[in-house]
Amino acid sequence: MTSRTRLPTIFLAPPLLILAALAFVPTAYAVYISFRNRELSRPDGSFVGLANYIDLFSDRRFVNAVGVSLTWELVTVTLTLLVAVALGILLFEFASARQRAVLTLVFLVPVILPRVSAAFVWKFAFHPLYGIVTYPYKAITGQPLDLLSNPATALMTVALVDVWQWGLFFAVIVLKLLETLPPQPFEAARLDHARPWEIYLYVALPMLKAPLISLTFIKMIESLRAFDLIYVMTRGGPGITTETLDMYAFSQGFIESGRISYASGMAVLMMLATTVIFTVIWKRVKP
Amino acid sequence: MANIVCSHIDKAYGAITVIKDFNLEIADHEFVVFLGPSGCGKSTLLRMIAGLEEISGGEVSIAGRTVNDLEPRDRGVAMVFQNYALYPHMTIYDNIAFGLKRMKVEKAEIDNRVRAVAGTLGLEPYLARKPTELSGGQQQRVAIARAMIKTPRVFLFDEPLSNLDAKLRNHMRVEIARLHQSLKTTTIYVTHDQLEAMTLADRIVLMKGGAIEQAGTPTEIYQRPRTLFVAGFIGTPNMNFLDVTARNDGEAWLLEGDGLRFRVGRERFDIREGQALTLGVRPSSLSISGNAEGRENILSGLIDLVEFHGDNALVSFRVGGVEIGALVPASNRPKTGMTVAFSVPAESLHAFDRATGLSVLRDRP
Repeated sequence: MTSRTRLPTIFLAPPLLILAALAFVPTAYAVYISFRNRELSRPDGSFVGLANYIDLFSDRRFVNAVGVSLTWELVTVTLTLLVAVALGILLFEFASARQRAVLTLVFLVPVILPRVSAAFVWKFAFHPLYGIVTYPYKAITGQPLDLLSNPATALMTVALVDVWQWGLFFAVIVLKLLETLPPQPFEAARLDHARPWEIYLYVALPMLKAPLISLTFIKMIESLRAFDLIYVMTRGGPGITTETLDMYAFSQGFIESGRISYASGMAVLMMLATTVIFTVIWKRVKP
Repeated sequence: MANIVCSHIDKAYGAITVIKDFNLEIADHEFVVFLGPSGCGKSTLLRMIAGLEEISGGEVSIAGRTVNDLEPRDRGVAMVFQNYALYPHMTIYDNIAFGLKRMKVEKAEIDNRVRAVAGTLGLEPYLARKPTELSGGQQQRVAIARAMIKTPRVFLFDEPLSNLDAKLRNHMRVEIARLHQSLKTTTIYVTHDQLEAMTLADRIVLMKGGAIEQAGTPTEIYQRPRTLFVAGFIGTPNMNFLDVTARNDGEAWLLEGDGLRFRVGRERFDIREGQALTLGVRPSSLSISGNAEGRENILSGLIDLVEFHGDNALVSFRVGGVEIGALVPASNRPKTGMTVAFSVPAESLHAFDRATGLSVLRDRP
C-alpha cells in the first residue's frame, strides 16, 4: 500500500473510532446492565439474568406504555402523511407560483422551530384559562377546556402539535415531488375521463409511491423520538395516558426510583423491537 | 364521428399572441395534418381543441357543439402524445382500460374491448407488462390503443412518431394510415415532418407564425404552393430559388437573372413587365441536357458535390452565386468537377413575387 492510498484511512480512522465508541459503548453497556439489578442510589449490583425482562411483562404500566407508543406511532405517522398529501395536492392544484413560494416558507417554519419551543408555545395555546386555542370554547360555554389534562384528549392534542410540525413540512416535500412529475400523464388522464381527484389517486400518487414510502419511514423513525414534545406538554400525564416507552423508561431510571437496570431492559427491548419491525416492513414494501 | 369548426381562434400568453384569427372547418371522417416548423402554433392549436389549453378568443365546436368551456373528457376527443404519456405504474392492460374504468363501463365489456383493441394493434403478448418493458414503437401503439378504445369522435395526434427511429416511424405511419382507413374517425395530426403530412393527410394545413399559410390536399400543396414559404417547406430535396426579373417578349415572358434566362408561356404566370420574381425549380424537374450554349431554360454549372441516394443522386452546383440542386438518376450521375447543363421544362417552373412572397401561378382554367 502506498502512502497515497493510506492517507484517507489515517484521516478517517480516528473520527470513525470515536463515532463507533459513542454508538456502541452505551448500547453494549445498556445491554450489560439490563442483566443486573443496578440502582442509582446504590453503587453496586449483582447479576440477575433475565429477571428485569420477566418483570417487565407483568408490569401493567409497561404494557400501557407499549400501547401508548404504538398508538402514537400510528396516529402521528398516518395523520402527518394524510395532511402532507392533502395540503401538497391543494397547493399544486390551486396555488400560483408566487403563492407556493410564500406558503412553502411558512410551512417550513414549524419544523425549524426547536421542538421544546414548539411544545411550550402549544402548551400555552392549549392552556385552559389563557390559551388562544381554548379561548373560543371558554367564551361560548363559560367553562374552561383543558385538553391536556383530559385522558381522552391528551395524547391526540400532543399528536396535533407533532402533525403541525411535520405535516406542513412534508406537504412542501409532496408539492416539490408533484412538481417533478411529467405533465403528460396528467393530461392523458384528463382526456381519459378522470376527474381531478381520480388523477391524483390513480396517476399522480402511484407515480410517487417510492418517495412517499421513504417519507413514511422517515416519519416513523422521527415519531419514535417524540420524548421532548411529550415531556414538555404532559410529562406522560394525565396519569399515564401519554406515557410512551421512552417516557416510562426515563421515569423508572431517573425520576421515580432510579432503577437503571430495569429502565435499560426496556430500552434494549425497544431497540430490538424497532430493529425487527423496521426490517420486516422495509423488506415488505421494497419491490 | 364529427366535424370540427374553428372560428376566429386566438391564443395569447399574456401580451404575446401566438395564434391570431385562425379559421378552419374539418369535415367528418377527414384526416387533417397541421404541418409547420416548430413554434408555428400547431401543437397549441391541437391542445386547444383537446381542451388542455385555454382558448383566448373565438370558438371551437365539435359535432356542432361549442366546446370552449367543456372539460377535455367531455369533448369526445382522444389524444396521442409525442412521448406516449403512458401511466408508468400500470400494466399495459390497465393503461388501455383506464379511460373505460373512469367511464364506469362494466368489467366484462372492458375486458372484451381491451382484448379487441390489443388484437388490432398486436399488443396481446404485452398486456401484463409495464410500459418501461416495451420498446418505443410498442409504447406508442399502447397510446394509440388507449385513445382508440374510447371510440372517440375525434382523434388528435401530437407528433406521435417524432420519438421513434426512422424505420419504426415508417412502419407506424403505415399503421396509422390503415387504422384511419378502417375506423374513419375524424383526425387531426400534428407534425413537422412533411413526409408524414404528405402520406397521411386528406388535407394539409400548413402553418407559419400562428396563421394558415396554405390549406389543401397534398397534391395541391406540392404542385401549386401558394407562397414562397410553402414552396420551400414542402418537397425533399428543397426547391431551388433564383432571383429573376420579368420581361415581355410578345408571345411569352422572359425571366432573366444572373446568367440565366427562362422563356415561359404567358398563360402560366400572372405577371407584369419588370416585376421582381423569385423563380422556384424543384430538383427533380432538372434533367441533364447536352449543350448549354445560347439556349434558354437551362441551368448549368460546375458540379461541386454529388450525393448518392440510392436510386437517385443529388447534384449540387452554383449558378450566379446561388446553390442549385438537381435530382438525377444515380446511373446517369455526373462526376464532381464536370460542367453540366440541365434543362428545365417551362411547365414545371414556379414563380413568386419577391415583395409579397405570393405565387404568381395562374389558376387553372
